[in-house]
Amino acid sequence: MNPGDVAQAALPLTSSDLSLFALFWQAHWVVKSVMLGLLVASVWVWAIVIDKLMLFGRTRKAMDRFEQAFWSGQSLEELYGSLSSRPVHSMAALFVAAMREWKRSFESKSRTFAGLQTRIEKVMDVTIAREIERLERRLLVLATVGSAGPFIGLFGTVWGIMTSFQSIAASKNTSLAVVAPGIAEALFATAIGLIAAIPATIFYNKFVSEVNKQAQRLEGFADEFAAILSRQIDERA
Amino acid sequence: MKRPEMKTGLTISALAHAGLLLWGLISFNARPLEARPTDSLPVDIISTKEFSELTKGVKNAPKVEESKQLVEKVAEPRTVDDTSAKISEKREVKTAAAEPPLPEPRPAEAKPEKKPPPKTDPIAETLKKEEAKKRAEERAKAKQQKQQQQKPQPKFDPMQIAALLDKRDPQRQAVTGEAVVPMPSLGTSSGSASKISQSELDAMRARLMQLWNPPAGVQNPQELVVRIRIKLGRDGRLAGPPIVLTSGRGTIFETARDNAIRALFRGQPFNMLSPSTYEAWKEIEITFDPRDMYNG
Repeated sequence: MNPGDVAQAALPLTSSDLSLFALFWQAHWVVKSVMLGLLVASVWVWAIVIDKLMLFGRTRKAMDRFEQAFWSGQSLEELYGSLSSRPVHSMAALFVAAMREWKRSFESKSRTFAGLQTRIEKVMDVTIAREIERLERRLLVLATVGSAGPFIGLFGTVWGIMTSFQSIAASKNTSLAVVAPGIAEALFATAIGLIAAIPATIFYNKFVSEVNKQAQRLEGFADEFAAILSRQIDERA
Repeated sequence: MKRPEMKTGLTISALAHAGLLLWGLISFNARPLEARPTDSLPVDIISTKEFSELTKGVKNAPKVEESKQLVEKVAEPRTVDDTSAKISEKREVKTAAAEPPLPEPRPAEAKPEKKPPPKTDPIAETLKKEEAKKRAEERAKAKQQKQQQQKPQPKFDPMQIAALLDKRDPQRQAVTGEAVVPMPSLGTSSGSASKISQSELDAMRARLMQLWNPPAGVQNPQELVVRIRIKLGRDGRLAGPPIVLTSGRGTIFETARDNAIRALFRGQPFNMLSPSTYEAWKEIEITFDPRDMYNG
């Protein structure tokens, strides 16, 4: 009986099949669950990335459009009339919220101007916070996957190597043909972890800076609009 | 709360992952590494015997797989160093062998003189004598002439022999061996691998010790140690007289020496020595030591 036959008999699981599916299928269930979890995480991360890319692009375009409309000399009343009929986001939402507060104060009989400035600023702050929350939503998932993904993958690898060493010990054979498949399938877990984590980290950083940029733009607009409204209040008072 | 945009993102992501996995399933199969054949140094563990076999051959021969020595004639193995010289069919002349001069042709004229002179008439006698003498002389002359014609007297000039030997220099004797090998391999002519094994030597020693009867009860047995060099033939018989290398005095030593020589003669043929290693035991020295004998 030659050594190759012995190895084959001792390790019936290790076949020469090293395709992607075989790597997954031969793994221990812990490694399998790690791989599946990381795969799901990767899918989710990319879903978020695509969603955010679309969202940020749309938001930027909407802001540009709104600023153009706002500074075109169009009457604010008309602009409000055209925007308030449908749900809007970002800068338009800021404008609508401020204008609503303004209108409410003016249309009421009491005509209280005393706290109007403060109220408008508060409303705009709340809107900015809500908008930023909308932009930032699910970014934490990216951060988590980006930081924890390699660790989860490493856990799978360690577990896989542990079991493969156990099988080596059981087969009493240390030839590379016996050792290699177990280590390959174990390393596959780390590979998936990195595949999920790398884009997550990159896009998390990119999106955080994007959110900061848009938040600053919103704050700038809010300050400007607050200044305009403040002038109006002082003129009418 | 699922927004429509999240749904699109999720579907795009899931589709992309599925596509990637599918591509991986198709393309990601472990190719066996096509490692270039490394320039490995094949390491063989060989004995000195095998090494000398490897080097056995001819200096200027092309490299061939097996080590072969040039053999041109089937005879007792003998090698020459320069195989490129011409082969001479003449036997090798040894100056020592040529030294004893060949017998001179016998003078023929002495014979008739020894004849006893008959006592008769002196004149007739003298006439007869003269006639006979003449005839004898003629006969002798004719005989001498005939002899001279038949066998030209060889000249024994040592200088000429040296010159003859000098002329033979670019030539050589044919390389002889067990089988004719026309295509020798590269190596040294003296790379003889034959080695006498310890068991063969022991068997021979046992045989000789059995036959050797040194004088017993000697005070200084170390004086009875006899070393003898013998030449053996292929058949295991002595090829020449044994040469005693040790010298000693006294009848006891002489007895021991003679006993040893006798043992050598009685012990032959030494067929425990295998003919394949003949080169190794062609000429060996044997030490007859009475102490070894008594030690067992």
